[in-house]
Amino acid sequence: MHLTVNGNPHDIDVPAGRTLVDLLRDDLGLTGTKEACSVGVCGACTVLVDGRMVASCIMLAAQVDGAEIVTIEGVADGELLHPLQRAFVEAGGLQCGICTPGQIVAAKALLDANPAPTEDEIADWMMGNLCRCTGYYQIREAILEAARVSGRAR
Amino acid sequence: MVDYHAIGTPTPRVDGVEKVTGRALYAGDRRLPGMLTGRLLHSHRPHARIVRIDTSAARALPGVHAVITGDDVRGHLYGRRIKDMPVLADGLVRYFGERVAAVAAEDEETARRAVDLIEVEYEDLPAVFDVVDAIAPGAPLLHPAFGTYPGTQPLDVPSNAYDHTVTERGDFDGAFAEADFVFERTFSTQRMHQAYLEPHTSLVSVTDGRAHIWTNTKAPHSIREVLTVTLGLAPEQIVLHHSHIGGDFGGKGTPLDLPIAYFLAQASGRPVRMVADYVEEFMAGNPRHATLTRFRTAVMRDGTITAHHVEYFVNSGAYAAYKPGGRIGGATRAAGPYRIPNTRIESIHVYTNSVPGGHMRAPGGPQGVFALESHLDAIARELDIDPLEFRMHNLIAEGDEPASGDQITRPRVRETLQAAADAAGYRDAKALHVGRGMAIGDHGAGGGVGNAEVTIHPDGAVTLGTAIFDQGSGTYTTLAQVVAEELGVPVDRIRFEIWDTDGTGGEDDSGIGGSRATRVNTVAAHAAAQDARTALTRVLAAQLGVAEADVALRGPDVLTPGGEPHTWAAILAEVGRSVTGRSHVDERGPTHMTGFAAQIAEVAVDPETGQVTVLKITSAHDVGRVLNPIGHQGQINGGVIQGLGYALMEELTFADGQVTSLSFGDYKIPTMRDVPQLTTVLLEPDNGIGPYQIKGIGETPNTPVAAAIANAIADAVGIRISDLPITAEKVYRALQNRGAAAQ
Repeated sequence: MHLTVNGNPHDIDVPAGRTLVDLLRDDLGLTGTKEACSVGVCGACTVLVDGRMVASCIMLAAQVDGAEIVTIEGVADGELLHPLQRAFVEAGGLQCGICTPGQIVAAKALLDANPAPTEDEIADWMMGNLCRCTGYYQIREAILEAARVSGRAR
Repeated sequence: MVDYHAIGTPTPRVDGVEKVTGRALYAGDRRLPGMLTGRLLHSHRPHARIVRIDTSAARALPGVHAVITGDDVRGHLYGRRIKDMPVLADGLVRYFGERVAAVAAEDEETARRAVDLIEVEYEDLPAVFDVVDAIAPGAPLLHPAFGTYPGTQPLDVPSNAYDHTVTERGDFDGAFAEADFVFERTFSTQRMHQAYLEPHTSLVSVTDGRAHIWTNTKAPHSIREVLTVTLGLAPEQIVLHHSHIGGDFGGKGTPLDLPIAYFLAQASGRPVRMVADYVEEFMAGNPRHATLTRFRTAVMRDGTITAHHVEYFVNSGAYAAYKPGGRIGGATRAAGPYRIPNTRIESIHVYTNSVPGGHMRAPGGPQGVFALESHLDAIARELDIDPLEFRMHNLIAEGDEPASGDQITRPRVRETLQAAADAAGYRDAKALHVGRGMAIGDHGAGGGVGNAEVTIHPDGAVTLGTAIFDQGSGTYTTLAQVVAEELGVPVDRIRFEIWDTDGTGGEDDSGIGGSRATRVNTVAAHAAAQDARTALTRVLAAQLGVAEADVALRGPDVLTPGGEPHTWAAILAEVGRSVTGRSHVDERGPTHMTGFAAQIAEVAVDPETGQVTVLKITSAHDVGRVLNPIGHQGQINGGVIQGLGYALMEELTFADGQVTSLSFGDYKIPTMRDVPQLTTVLLEPDNGIGPYQIKGIGETPNTPVAAAIANAIADAVGIRISDLPITAEKVYRALQNRGAAAQ
């Protein structure tokens, strides 16, 4: 199969049952994407497939043949952090960090679709990304701040 | 007032950039050449003799390198203090989910297939799940050999109640005889999973006679010590390497599969990695204990509590192994910071045929506080006394002894409760079916031993060596602040060197847990920084040709009487060598200082459905100096929302001893949609521990939440739910029952 991950093309043979998260982590060595619940409800494994937010633990690698994937490793522009990444660090939107790649990729999908979301819109979009450390307040604050910064930059 | 530049300043996490870019490596991200995948066969019976295990088909499967059972690891017992758990079931399973056999294979798929090929024949034994049943006469005894295990002494009478402690103060029986009223009530709490999103992971490689380990443990030195006994190795044969830890909340202090991964690595001659899946986490993790608390409380007509009897039963599950002290606290929390002169406090730990419990955030605290604060609220309402007045009347003040008999310095509990009531608008008018309820908790900072090393390099960079494995709570950031403060440099100048367990030069290190990390390790980092400062002064004095006493360090500058101003970095660069300070500190002593939390929940109850909506939580805290406001608030936010999950939704459900909530689809934790408005109040600090006068904040915020919500529900609709979690079904049923009784 052929796919593009964070702008890099890959031609790779994988067994039929391989999940997308295993393809990313084990075959491509992109361990930034995490696996936790394995049943598509916690959001830790969130990646973008052709711009759409998906749970990579319940998607088969075979389903992304020809697709463009963005993982957490592809969110920053080289060493320049994405406004969401900066805001998560500065607002305390992460503690242990295990859910953070999924949170940031999901929030990126949100801001790509809706550059100035309300608190309610953020909660509706992000409710599929569980976090046990922060109680979500500082994540919400980080997303609002990133939206403000991006808005000013436009 | 001391003027600090780094301490008290909002400081983003020092590991933040690594974590937001996906570069931070967790144990599950590690790969070793030739690494095999380990998988487990778990028991499907709650209590049974193993008649026969046939592993021949599993062994014959191509790609399988090792299959081990209890026969292969006989006599190897695991336990943080009480070593009552065989590494793999030894002829007997005591809970549904117990580890029975393990496989190491080339890949996950092969390992899973091999596990499926193992045949086990069981002979069922009578099982007991409930603490009351387990201590009844004739109950099946789970551990007839208790007393022979390391860390135990024989019981006077064989029993599943392996630990029963009683403390009594005052004229207990006399006070009950003279009481105007006696109130009796029973409360129960459920098992809760820590729900860290990173499952338990163990990677073991045995090379040159040493076991190299990558696992998600926050107490690597303690675990190494435990492993010496379980694995039969010398301390120097075990080394735990650092990885980031993806959440803990008490659950990452006992690596569940690590001894098994070691024996698989031994048997296969290859590195073995085991990553639990979340079914295994829910079925066979180390959850917060279920408890049952019975109260008998003597109260006078004016609302004065005169005597209090606590019977606090802890459902240990099948083993005590996962409890760092063999038992948990909580019984004294069910007595509380109240001035009650006559008390009997009983704590009873009971074996049952269920998943063994471990530590979770303030172990025993939320259980004891839910029971006590619900009970007191019910008493106040029955006596028609405002719950706030009732508490204020009985809470300790300076000089009073609390019901536990513990010594508490500067107990600011009344001030904390009043601050919560004021901020919550406790007396404000409420809509129909809206209620407000309160609860109080406290947690002192735990003690331990810690180490640090501070090196100042000729280029001006500073390295902090530490044995801490930060599990997310932000210890690295506070330690960087300490070193930056003491050396007068910016926080971003500090680089970390995180040691494996060899790094302390043989010294013990308590790691993280029990709100100890800030207390112990700020002292360690402070001492190492001061030591480095002294060493720096010596080098500067020699280079400048002045007496050490005449060298003054002011931030980046070094001043000497009448001399030219220099930067010390420039002088150190001339000298061309680094200077180092080290510390090993012993902070094991009790502090008698605690941090109170008082919370007020405001809820709306839908009388048609029983649905409870938490509108607002006000959380007031009696704090010391706040080192990092970002991290401090993060502990409060996360703790409160865990408390909300405990109160309303989270429960490991069981059927015949088997956990039935086996995924995050069934075991619901709060999402961003569930969080209420949260108001935090911090009292002006006026006391604390150590060089910066701190208190712990990791545990208190999650302790009172459930009781505050239960009390708010009672205030809203007049019903009392005494077993957690408070689901809509329970509220609906209670409302229906009350309606039926009224007719």
